[in-house]
Amino acid sequence: MKTDIALTFVLIVCLGGAIGLSRGLDQHRINSSDSFAEEPLYLNGRSAKRMTLAFNGLAADWYWMRSLQYVGRKIVTYEDEHNGKFDLADLPALDLRLLPSLLDLTTTLDPQFIPAYEYAAVILPEINPNQAIALLEKGIAANQSSWRLYQHLGYIYWQRQDYRRAGEVYEAGAKMSGAPTWMPAMAARMKSEGGSRAAAREMYLHLRESSSDLSVQQMVDHQLSRLDSLDKLDAIRQTLALFKQRNGRCITSWREVATELRGFQFDAAGAPLDSSDAPYRLINNGCGADFDPDSKVAR
Amino acid sequence: MFGQTLAIVRNTFREAVRDRVLYNLILFALLLIASAIFIGELSAGQEAKIVIDLGLSAMLLFGAFIAIFVGVGLVHKEIERRTLYAILSKPIGRGQFLFGKYLGLNLTLLVNLVVMGLGVVLALLYTTRSLDPLVWRIWPAILLIYFELLIITAIALVFSSFSSPALSALLSFFIFVIGHFSSDLRALSDSVTSTPARWLFRVLYYLLPNFSNFSAITATAHGANPDARTVAGAMVYGGLYVAALLSVAALVFRRRNFK
Repeated sequence: MKTDIALTFVLIVCLGGAIGLSRGLDQHRINSSDSFAEEPLYLNGRSAKRMTLAFNGLAADWYWMRSLQYVGRKIVTYEDEHNGKFDLADLPALDLRLLPSLLDLTTTLDPQFIPAYEYAAVILPEINPNQAIALLEKGIAANQSSWRLYQHLGYIYWQRQDYRRAGEVYEAGAKMSGAPTWMPAMAARMKSEGGSRAAAREMYLHLRESSSDLSVQQMVDHQLSRLDSLDKLDAIRQTLALFKQRNGRCITSWREVATELRGFQFDAAGAPLDSSDAPYRLINNGCGADFDPDSKVAR
Repeated sequence: MFGQTLAIVRNTFREAVRDRVLYNLILFALLLIASAIFIGELSAGQEAKIVIDLGLSAMLLFGAFIAIFVGVGLVHKEIERRTLYAILSKPIGRGQFLFGKYLGLNLTLLVNLVVMGLGVVLALLYTTRSLDPLVWRIWPAILLIYFELLIITAIALVFSSFSSPALSALLSFFIFVIGHFSSDLRALSDSVTSTPARWLFRVLYYLLPNFSNFSAITATAHGANPDARTVAGAMVYGGLYVAALLSVAALVFRRRNFK
């Protein structure tokens, strides 16, 4: 009996002590993962593929999830520091220096991993367009029948305003089996009016249709909203110019053109709203209009 | 003769399914397959790919563990318990005994793989919430895994016919690893300038098992099945290689002195 009590006592004291010590150690522990987070990868793709034996697909999944978490963690930190605001245009500020290597490793381990290329096509151009192009070209070499990769590569060239090259890539993609009928038309449009808003809208709509990747869909939705808002801004500017022409002065309040802008939605102060529900603001003493600095579609 | 071999197969199967190590390995593999469902949540729409990659990789890895650890003990246990003397005193050849043992373990592996394969199917059904074509498409890859395991079992049997279980397990595992590097041996033989070295690497390339013939996990995870010719070629290669290994095991075992 005495032994049982002694053993129970030792158990409770030691376990309590271990828990207390563990809590103390946790508080003083330096988060070592933070200091290693930006350390360059030790392995190149070829070595990693060799070392993973038959498990290269599994290793690719691991690096894929690591890429997503790497970007996700940076976005969360950025949002914490900027009152929850994050936009795709803020990507360069995230300092995603490890992302190209992570995606390169993922696609070397599993060259048929199309979602990784699609993700790279959306995120990497904001960081390093040349690496984005190199990765997409690598993807095309490994998946020669995938017209979607041509579409993404064309999109990157289009973003760089290299409409001739974008057209060539669309043209090459159109020759792939299973390529949609709009690909040759897109190639022609890139060459003739690559910089137009109509071409941009068409490009985003096709990207939306053909991709199941959530990050691509979010990016496209944002860009389509932005195009809608730009159209609205053009209409507002036209209305303001017409008002000035008729009255010889600029407006003093939005209410003066409320009838002309009846297709718009307005805030409580009567200002028309853009696609992110931010009010347009009057500039140049009511002669012009622009996006609100807080608008989510301004950039 | 067929009846005697069948009796050995049946007893080996019974002995293997009573082994606790086997159940631990299967349980661990099934847990890993189930965990793929949760890991897949982190993959941004790639849940099915993760389930297949993780599930089939677990099947290959744990299947290899079972083949090696149970395989190396097949003959050794019989010698240790001295039951081998009773068996060999009957009109059963040593080669026949080895062959029966080998088939018994293969049957065990087949049942294990089917159980683990059904685990992957359940995980896929849960993830996709539909009867996805991937549910059927994983089976050719599982068949190839099974043939790879048949070779590994035969390798374990060869080593265990003349060596201790620990050393046999270690050597078998080495061959499992080297077998996945075979394409590098080929590349090495093409790149070296020395003729003897080129021949050495070339001989090693053909002598060691080429497990890349059985690797279809990554392609299957993308919904692409290996074509019938690839599967048939791998199966024939596996069969020939196993026959060669069993011949070596029988040759060694026939000359072994149990006194």
